[in-house]
Amino acid sequence: MKILILGAGAIGGYVGGRLHQSGADVTFLVRPARQQAIQRDGLVIKSTKGDVTQKVKTVLKANEGGPYDIVLLTPKAYDLESAIEAIVPAVGLNTTVVPLLNGMRHLDVLDATFGKDKVVGGLARVGVAMSPEGTILHTSPFAAISFGERDEREPRASLKELDAAVKKSGIDGGLHKNIVQDLWDKWIMLCSLAATNCLMRGSSGDILEADEGRAIVMETVDECQKTAAAAGCDPGEKGMQTIRGFLTVKGSRFTASMLHDLEKGAMVEADHIVGDMIARAKKAGISTPNLRMAYAHLQVYLARRARAG
Amino acid sequence: MKILILGAGAVGGYWGARLHQAGIDVTFLLREKRAETVRKNGLVVKSPKTGDAVLPVKVVTKATDGGPYDVVILACKGYDLQSAMDSIAAAVGANTTIVPMLNGHMHFAALDARFGQDKVAGGLARISGMLGPNGEILHSGATGVSFGERDGSPARAALVELDRACKKAGIDGGLNPNINQDLWDKWVMLGAIASMCAAMRGTVGDIMESDDGAAIMGEILEECCKVAAAEGYPPSDKVAGSLRAGLTQKGSKSVASILGDIEKGGAVEAKSIVGDMLARARKFGVAAPNLRFAYAHLQTYEARRARNGLKGN
Repeated sequence: MKILILGAGAIGGYVGGRLHQSGADVTFLVRPARQQAIQRDGLVIKSTKGDVTQKVKTVLKANEGGPYDIVLLTPKAYDLESAIEAIVPAVGLNTTVVPLLNGMRHLDVLDATFGKDKVVGGLARVGVAMSPEGTILHTSPFAAISFGERDEREPRASLKELDAAVKKSGIDGGLHKNIVQDLWDKWIMLCSLAATNCLMRGSSGDILEADEGRAIVMETVDECQKTAAAAGCDPGEKGMQTIRGFLTVKGSRFTASMLHDLEKGAMVEADHIVGDMIARAKKAGISTPNLRMAYAHLQVYLARRARAG
Repeated sequence: MKILILGAGAVGGYWGARLHQAGIDVTFLLREKRAETVRKNGLVVKSPKTGDAVLPVKVVTKATDGGPYDVVILACKGYDLQSAMDSIAAAVGANTTIVPMLNGHMHFAALDARFGQDKVAGGLARISGMLGPNGEILHSGATGVSFGERDGSPARAALVELDRACKKAGIDGGLNPNINQDLWDKWVMLGAIASMCAAMRGTVGDIMESDDGAAIMGEILEECCKVAAAEGYPPSDKVAGSLRAGLTQKGSKSVASILGDIEKGGAVEAKSIVGDMLARARKFGVAAPNLRFAYAHLQTYEARRARNGLKGN
């Protein structure tokens, strides 16, 4: 099985690096500067699970080195268009596209481009970043990916093979029986966290210090849960308890990466994570006053950012 | 008439400077360090609108010095009220009138309790400016003040005289027979713009760039108007209309100073401008969902500031 990974950034670089290390046939589709750096220094991973520097295969164009069975995609949502453009030549008759993105809207876009059959569901839970020099810094204790068919069919062979490769690589997770529910679970969590952290400009612990902080967080989670339920993907009481529990740890310094992005003036996945949740809620007749406020905050940020150039 | 002004910040400093220039007997009550600077360099005012000046103003560091005073002007921030009251206490005699220029209404209860309701007039400033790095007053916009009796009775002699002094000094506004309405009008405006600029972290124009920004601004203004109405001081249609137009103007560079305070990591008048408005909304059963968000935002900011966490940790 041949795997193409778009980019060798934080998540793609870590996942691809581990797969390569355990013997999978992995190729990275990268830009020239990144290719030069990797050819010179190797792909460098510094990780709580062990450091490794290794030579990896890279290509500059998706029509090189194929055909590929799996194309793994880990862009930020606002880069999806250019990511799709980059991988188009690599997607043949028997290729499966595995996007590891938060939210849901990218699936519609990918379906429209490649056809629903070629696209499966997937997501990553890897606490990882990339240094300016291109070193992949995996600082958290967890590294998991999750993927699967978006309906009840038997997983296709390439996914089973990817599952075996993932298990061999020491990355947690793998093939998931109900990836759509998993996507919703993570989205509810992430949307609630990002919306409240950004709207309030503080960690979950800071927000709990405000008189109404806890109530506002709970309402926000509620808005997301109702939206998921309307899509047929209510996480259920147990799933919701986990999400609520995580968001209401007193003194927690945990923040959504979107807040870090906001504070350093970077681009944010506002439309994908918060805007699309609101759009789906609206369609289902669910009112989302808290998400609305958070989305306005993010749009104001983006307007200011655009103005500052 | 002798006037004591606590502090020489953007509002008190500018106002006092103009009064001094017009020959009014003004004394500034300052902390040692500020007093030293002003004694050495004079009070420096830079104003593109009304001209620059370096003034040898009278300075004291104790309220017992230089009195007795007929008027004590208090232009501190809401969160400094307690120490401000301690500072001026010794200057407040049997015939002294305190003219507080703070935003909101919370300060009246504290001032009345400490000095007696009779001694405390109502007042507000429409002076925009800030302090420069060397303590110079950088005046940038309006030059208005407004003050008067809170119970609507005929103004006491000291306020009439202060009015005359303001007119002589070219300060707009002055004695206002309906100061309570003016206070509420300003608070309604400030409650909306401070809430929104803080919670959205942008200017009015930036906020208008978001899909729901104009709607949310309109709603929060409505929340403030309803509270004012419940208190017996609804803004007139004309005032409400012009507030709404100003606060929803596309491309507007208007911004509440609270955003500047937040962006430099400073203290904010969260409670007196937003928290107290929200508390009054609750008291009257006025739904105020947007003020609630804004106050939570400000309280989160204060919590993060208190733990030195504003720099990303």
